[in-house]
Formats: sequence, C-alpha cells, structure tokens
Amino acid sequence: MGQAYKLEYQIQLINAIKSNNSMALKDFYTANYPKIEILVLKNNGSIEHAKDVYQEAFITVWKHVKNDTFIPQNETALEGYLYRIAKNKWTDVLRSKTFKSSRPLNTENLTVVKNDEHDDEADELENEKLKSTMDAFKILGQPCKQLLSTFYFDKKSLKDIAAELNIEETTARNKKYRCMEKLRAMVIASK
Amino acid sequence: MKHNSDISQELLEAIERYINGTMDSKELKDFNEYLKIDTDFKAQVEDIKTMLLGIETQTLKEQLDVFHEDVLEIKAQKSESNTVRFLKYRKLTAAAAIIIAVGSIWFFSSSPNHRLYANYFKPDPGLPTTMSSSSDNFDFYDAMVNYKHGDYDLAIEKWHLLNEKKPDNDTINYFLGVAHLANKDETDAIPFLERATADSTFALINDAYHYLGLAYLNVDNVVLAKKYLNLSNTEISKELLKKLD
Repeated sequence: MGQAYKLEYQIQLINAIKSNNSMALKDFYTANYPKIEILVLKNNGSIEHAKDVYQEAFITVWKHVKNDTFIPQNETALEGYLYRIAKNKWTDVLRSKTFKSSRPLNTENLTVVKNDEHDDEADELENEKLKSTMDAFKILGQPCKQLLSTFYFDKKSLKDIAAELNIEETTARNKKYRCMEKLRAMVIASK
Repeated sequence: MKHNSDISQELLEAIERYINGTMDSKELKDFNEYLKIDTDFKAQVEDIKTMLLGIETQTLKEQLDVFHEDVLEIKAQKSESNTVRFLKYRKLTAAAAIIIAVGSIWFFSSSPNHRLYANYFKPDPGLPTTMSSSSDNFDFYDAMVNYKHGDYDLAIEKWHLLNEKKPDNDTINYFLGVAHLANKDETDAIPFLERATADSTFALINDAYHYLGLAYLNVDNVVLAKKYLNLSNTEISKELLKKLD
C-alpha cells in the first residue's frame, strides 16, 4: 500500500478521534490492545494491569490528538505513539515504590523512551481540577449525564437532542445549563 | 474553581463558543480584550475549559470499559476456536493434507500470472469510517463498513448508487474497483480502476495503478499489467514488476 494512502488513513483516523467517533475509537482501541497485553504480561504484570495501563495511555493519546500535541509523521504513527505511551506508563508503574515492594522484578528489558508524553509539574493543578470534574461527572444523575455527554462528547446539536427527547430546543438549552450548574456545584463542594 | 462565581447561561455559552472556535471575529476580539484585563475572568474560562474536558474524558473512560468487553469477546472466540481446533486436530490434519494436495494441483497447474496475482493481491483495507453530516458521505462510509466486514456485494451495490450520482468521483470509482477485485471479479474492476486513475492528482493514485496492474495480470494481459505497475510508485508494485521481467 502506498505511503500517501496510509498517511491519508492516519489523517482520517485523527479526524475521527477528534470528533469522538465511537466506531473509529472502538476499532482503534480493540486493534491495539493485544500488543500492550503481551508487553505487560511479559514484564511482570497481570491482565488487570494491562487493561489499566492501556486505558490510561489511550486517554492520553486521545487528549494529545484533541489538542494537536500529536501530528502524524508517518503511516503507523498513531499506533506507535499509543504503544510508546503505554510502555512508558508501565515502566513508571514498575519503578513505583508500591509495585517494587510487592514483588521482585526484572525491568532490564524495558528501556524507557522519555519524551513529551509526561505531564509537566505545572499541569498538576489542572489535573487535579480535571479529576474532580471527572469524579463529579461520574456520580451526576443519569438524565444530566446523558444530556451533557451527548452534547459535549457526541457533539450532537441541541436541535437534534431536543428532537430525540421530544422537547423544545429552548427547553433542551435550559436543561443543559442547569445540568452544568449542578456539575459545577458538585465540583466546588468536593473541595 | 472559584466559589462564588455564578456564570450566566449567556456567559457559559459565550465561553463554549470561544473554546470551540465558533466566535465571529468581532466577538472574539472583545473576548480576548476581556481575557487580557480581567484575570478572574480568565480563570473562569480556564475552569470551564477543564470542566468540558472532564465531561469528555469521563465519558470516554466509561466507553472504554464497554470497548474492553469487545476485546474479551474477541479473545474468547479465538480461544474457543483454538480448543475446537485442538480437539479436531487429527481430523483437520487429514483434511488439510487433502486441501494442500488439491490446492497445489490447482496452484501449480494455474498460469504463472495467476500465481503471482494470488501472491500479491491483498484487498485494500478501506478507509476508517467517520461520521459526517452530509448524507452522501454517510452513504459512502456506510458502504465502507460493509466493505470492511467483507460484505463486498452489499458495498458494491451501495457504492453503485452513489456512482450513478457522481460518476467522476475518483474515490468512489477506486473503491468500486477494489471491491470488485476483492470479490474476485477482475473484469468488472478494471473499468472503475481506469476511471479512478483518470485524474493524476487523486490521493490514492499509486494504489489505483497498483490494483489496476494486478487486475490486468490476472486476466493475463501482461503488457498492460506492466504498464500500470510501472506507473505506481509503491514498493510492492516495483517488487512485482521485477518478478514479471
């Protein structure tokens, strides 16, 4: 297959990820998981570890694609990027004290490729805020959760959402605002 | 997050427009002015940005667990078929021997062109299926899903309908061509691939030449096969050309 074709594929994939296309995200997720599982299992990890590390890496890649930190340079760029991030994350786990104290390990065959995928210290506060929003959103009431994720994640228009819920568009708009206020209140209260 | 910061609906929506990049230039200019002079306002915008990212990230996180069930399902199917394979190992070896024997007779008695074709033909993997608002694009990717699942007949049928509307669209012509090829129908593939190569600026031109060359090879037209493989700059075409010399 030609280079142009594969690059075209990468660009399509990036655009699909940016628009949170479920089908593309799922394809990308299921296609790349087995390699990470092999890596983790071969390096003192369990299947549960593999899943956690992979999902964390997947979210990081998604974020980097979203904010244009990642731009494809070659035809398998994104797949390789995901693998490198997962590998680095797993190496970090292996080096962490909690992991070291729980079992003997051999990390010689895991060389770390340190690069831009590690979050800066300055982002720490931002990460904390992000985490409290995520925690609050997790326990937000189902109707609000559904509405907000359809609007912000699936990027559906208020008009379409209103049609699906069989309500007026202005009602959907007000509902969305009230749900956001509720979520904001929960985040603030968690402090 | 600031404690007493009430955000009105209008302000929230303005901040969203700012984050999504859908402000018009006048509004954007005013907004940027505000950001410069009011640090509280700036912090408020950052907080909303983080909130929106949080909503998206948590939604994705919850979806990943659903995706993971698929991973487990695929694995289960594989190991199940492995067990079955193991149990029927003896029977299968016998069957395989017969298949290999019959296959080799077919393979070695078929023309060298067909043999090369069989060695070099791999169906185009297709494009990732993306969502799109325009209905034509939806139909195109809908057929792409069928194509990727190996349901070539259905994909061809759907693309044909689009092709009638847009006979000069090179992407549709290309995929109709490769779908016919994957469906082992070289003679039907050739006219579509020829149309796809009509425009030299087509993004997949090298792949189109490659498949056109392969299609001609399989119908034993070595002259045209070489011509089109020569036009394709893909490595695999070059490799195949060497074998044809």
